[in-house]
Amino acid sequence: MTEETNREILEVEDPSRRTFLKYMTVAAFAAASAGALRVTLQNIIPKSAGITGFPQLLLVDSTSGKPISTSDLKVNDSAVVSFDYPLQGEPNFLLRMGDAGGNDVKVSSVKVSIPASGSSFQSPAGVGPYGSVVASSAICEHLGCVPPIIHFYKPGTSIPNGPSASQNTGLIHCNCHGSTYDPGKGFGIVTGPTQKPLPNVALKYDKASDQYYAVSMVGPTIYGHSSDLSGGNPLPSNSQTGVSTQSA
Amino acid sequence: MSEKTQKETPIIIKMLNEPRPIPRRVPDYMRKKGGAWYWTGAMVMVAFLYEVITGLVILMYYQPSQAYTSTENFVNSVPFGSLILTTHLYGAYMMIVLVYVHLLRNLFVAAYKKPRMMQWLTGVLLLALTVGIGFFGYSMSGDVLSADATDVGTGIARGIPFIGNYLSLIFFGDGTPISLFHRMLGWHIVLAAGIGILFLGHFIMAEYNSIMPSHREANYKAPAIDEEKPEYKPWYPHNLLYMLEIGMLTLAAILIITSVVAALGSAVPALFSPFPQVSPSSPLAQNVPAYPPWFLLFVYKAVDFSFMAGPGPFYATLIFAGIPVMYLLLLPYLDRSPSLKLTDRPITFGLAILGVIFFISLSAWGALTPGVAIPTPQVLAFFLFPILTVLPLVYYLSRNYQKSGMDARHFTQLALSLSFLGLSGFGLGMLIDALVRTRNPVYYIPSVVMAMVVALLVTLVAYTIWDSKHAAERKASRPISRRMRNTLGGAFTLGAFIIVTVIQPFSATSTFQEALFGIGIGVVFLIAAANLKLYRSVVLEE
Repeated sequence: MTEETNREILEVEDPSRRTFLKYMTVAAFAAASAGALRVTLQNIIPKSAGITGFPQLLLVDSTSGKPISTSDLKVNDSAVVSFDYPLQGEPNFLLRMGDAGGNDVKVSSVKVSIPASGSSFQSPAGVGPYGSVVASSAICEHLGCVPPIIHFYKPGTSIPNGPSASQNTGLIHCNCHGSTYDPGKGFGIVTGPTQKPLPNVALKYDKASDQYYAVSMVGPTIYGHSSDLSGGNPLPSNSQTGVSTQSA
Repeated sequence: MSEKTQKETPIIIKMLNEPRPIPRRVPDYMRKKGGAWYWTGAMVMVAFLYEVITGLVILMYYQPSQAYTSTENFVNSVPFGSLILTTHLYGAYMMIVLVYVHLLRNLFVAAYKKPRMMQWLTGVLLLALTVGIGFFGYSMSGDVLSADATDVGTGIARGIPFIGNYLSLIFFGDGTPISLFHRMLGWHIVLAAGIGILFLGHFIMAEYNSIMPSHREANYKAPAIDEEKPEYKPWYPHNLLYMLEIGMLTLAAILIITSVVAALGSAVPALFSPFPQVSPSSPLAQNVPAYPPWFLLFVYKAVDFSFMAGPGPFYATLIFAGIPVMYLLLLPYLDRSPSLKLTDRPITFGLAILGVIFFISLSAWGALTPGVAIPTPQVLAFFLFPILTVLPLVYYLSRNYQKSGMDARHFTQLALSLSFLGLSGFGLGMLIDALVRTRNPVYYIPSVVMAMVVALLVTLVAYTIWDSKHAAERKASRPISRRMRNTLGGAFTLGAFIIVTVIQPFSATSTFQEALFGIGIGVVFLIAAANLKLYRSVVLEE
């Protein structure tokens, strides 16, 4: 009934003019919505928090505030020793690599491949008096699990659902989904499901003062960030970052 | 109005131009035994209202700037905080389960067919929104599980080509924790409002299209419309009281189930614990397996499939959650035949059974072997075996059902129980094989449980076959006398008063005593529902 009355009203007019007006009205509505959509979208996309360049930060003990020296770092420490760099909420492992006997092992620079992108990068060599101190992001590149779920396993210890004790040359393993990384080879992939190695932290060692600095990040982007320098608040100090120890 | 115009005019325009009174009167069989199946939507609504009310209470205390401490404080120090937060979580679980029940029921009775297509589509969208709001709610506590869930959520959002980074910024903020929890709180509320609005549309459409009548009333053909008949009873008191009864039962279920689980305390595995877990930075965090909420476990397992490692979690989600949702959205357009009979749509029926089987077994797989990579041949076997058993079985049963002389209810029951029997039998075989070969005691308990499931299903199949032959001889049970019902009602109410009095001295800040308090209130709701049922039987003779 109402349907038919509607149709009659519409059909008295010239049909082509009616169609034209209809499309014009729809177009005007579309333009108005597009404008409103832009306002909403641009408003709700926040500017990613961050900084503009890699700072050079002295590694200090987070409780005492004293600079970290070589003797503060234990060889094959099974505790989680970590520091934030380059932003807050971007934890990194600090490791002093050794063999099964507890002697320092020199870590040399190697070419590390990134299966996800097919590219590769040159890892920074270990630093310190024995060239055995290395650091990497502590956020698993697979799905972003953080310590203590992901942590370092001493050489010769067995890893649950991971490489056997004899295969373990000192590896980082994530218990979320089983990704394993080799800190002795630029934190490259030992087992999946990860398709990216851990981002390496380039360290600098000052022989005279026996102090360590974090200088920059090398390799893939830190998990969950669009760049290493965005997606978090800057660290409270622009000259140092605290190293904390947590038993695992 | 002619059949043709009905087909052409969209439901929204019809609703505006020819409004009908709300609520419509409904047939009596909706309030009889088995009538609860017509009210699954009402149960979802009650659970949703419970979520809104408890959610608003928690909103008064939640601080995005210190998500974990404010949540822990709410649980441990705010009076009845533990009861409110745990029932908010379990109420959400209940709502998700009820949404799935509502979906399956309407799929089995073919309620997606004309004229209810638009209603079905809004329903599928509501399912997606419900799972989405569940994800944000689960991630807001700031505990280790929520941190893991957020990391995975960010990973999936970022994996979306081109717009991934923007989506991650929109949903999870600028990368700082304050921004993260603020955004999640915001989206949790925005989605609740979205569900409310879409639900209103879904509900008005349901009223407009009338309830999905029983197949016999509809003559087994779409469009199935319930024409209002003069003998239908008025909404008040008949339906209102019935709906109150359903509502009380839903509330009682939420309160009792949650409180029993909460009272069990640390005996409950992390996956089903109603309490927040430890903080992500605690050394104990490594003992908590990185589980997503149970309703997303199926995608979580799919991420472990070896062939998904390369494409990443976004594509795993797209394949294992996106395709089923797409199928559900397209279902009204794929299955266009007017027949409502299950036997006339064996493929839809078979796929529905497979959907349930895959959802449950993928979830169980994800819970049992979190993070263990699964090689492709095993994945293929997992998917192919049920497909190759269930589809031919359902097809064969459908073709031969006319000859067997079974009625539709028995047929459905038989097809369902046979499908699950086949699968459980296979599972039992695998478990016993593993037990014999490895002699590892971890397989012992699952084997016993699975054997019990198989035995139950065998009994169910045998009973269904027996029952289908003897259905005609069954006699109705003798009703309880009117005086007896009055006495029962009195005793129930007295019991309710006693319970309410007894639970008053319980501590409002001890999680265990709050759980007991919750059980008490739940039982009182049960009593209220029982009394309503007695009242309806005595006064309204229903």
